[in-house]
Amino acid sequence: MSTKVTVVKNVLDANDRLAADNRKLFAEKKIFVVNLMSSPGAGKTTLLERTIQELRGTWKIGVIEGDIQDTYDADRIAALDIPVVQINTGGACHIDSNMVREALPGLNIDNMDLLFVENVGNLVCPAEFDIGEQMKIMILSTPEGADKPAKYPLMFQSSTALIINKTDLLPYVNFDLEKAKRDALILNPKLLIFEVSCKTGAGLEVWTRWLNEQIRVFSGR
Amino acid sequence: MHELSLVQSLLEMVDELSLERGFQRVNVLRLSFGRLACVDPLSLQFAFDVESPGTRAEGSKLVFDILPGALYCFSCEGEQKMTSHELRCPVCSGTQVILTGGTEELKLMEMEVD
Ligand SMILES: Nc1nc2c(ncn2[C@@H]2O[C@H](COP(=O)(O)OP(=O)(O)OP(=O)(O)O)[C@@H](O)[C@H]2O)c(=O)[nH]1
Ligand SMILES: [Mg+2]
Ligand SMILES: [Zn+2]
Repeated sequence: MSTKVTVVKNVLDANDRLAADNRKLFAEKKIFVVNLMSSPGAGKTTLLERTIQELRGTWKIGVIEGDIQDTYDADRIAALDIPVVQINTGGACHIDSNMVREALPGLNIDNMDLLFVENVGNLVCPAEFDIGEQMKIMILSTPEGADKPAKYPLMFQSSTALIINKTDLLPYVNFDLEKAKRDALILNPKLLIFEVSCKTGAGLEVWTRWLNEQIRVFSGR
Repeated sequence: MHELSLVQSLLEMVDELSLERGFQRVNVLRLSFGRLACVDPLSLQFAFDVESPGTRAEGSKLVFDILPGALYCFSCEGEQKMTSHELRCPVCSGTQVILTGGTEELKLMEMEVD
């Protein structure tokens, strides 16, 4: 005779618990952690390079790079003389809270104000995995098309801010900016939207000023 | 793709629960998630078939409760079930809407055990 057992528990409960530990550690150390997510090639590493140049005079910055294989992105960050750890996700399509925890000894977290985690390029899976970040930020680039919010709602729903990148390409690609913004706000009415071009630099100042303010409030400095 | 991680977490959870509640075998696992949560039942079943042999959940049946996408429409002043991925009201086609359901994450709701 089979017995029924009621459970009602998130399957990612173990990840969520570890993420809560990470979050506590980051709060103690006063490190503002940004989980940066997008499709492959939307401009995560380029945005990091540009943002780091703007904020490095104010905050001590570190980076965790999640890549399925190579260290190409980590090399780009290391070239800026910024501490960086490459996470090998071993084929996984996302970073989880345990991977972040294991990457921390490779960074000097006693001497850090701002930690960027560049997630694996993927619009689906990373949104499911809390890693203990202060906020999730996602990038959508104009060549990807404006139908992405409706097709991949979870990431838009869980992000604090959406960066629409590659606005310099708007004259050449068929991207309905108003529809993308409208759909994104239907999914998440609190979502902040920045329109930028990491190539021309358009809109980057508004973004970095906003981020700087968030870190200032968080760290109380 | 993340279905593999989800299944691994699910199997660990079953293992912990078997110690807590003292059962040997699982016959049925009832899972729920939102239709827009990017969880694919076929991939989930496939990952389960690959990962479950040798665990307490081996041979267990997976039952999925898939929660529908839902929108609140400000023109109709009511909640509407989504019939497609389009973010507009299925009744009046209005775009003054907010998403109210469908992205619920994967949960283990209930098990039948021996
Ligand atoms: N035209 C244009 N190209 C850009 C812009 N931002 C980035 N790119 C280019 O887009 C390509 C991909 O940029 P990356 O920053 O490597 O993208 P990523 O999201 O880090 O990619 P993965 O880590 O592989 O997922 C590069 O060739 C960049 O030079 C932009 O604003 N405009
Ligand atoms: Mg990159
Ligand atoms: Zn309506």
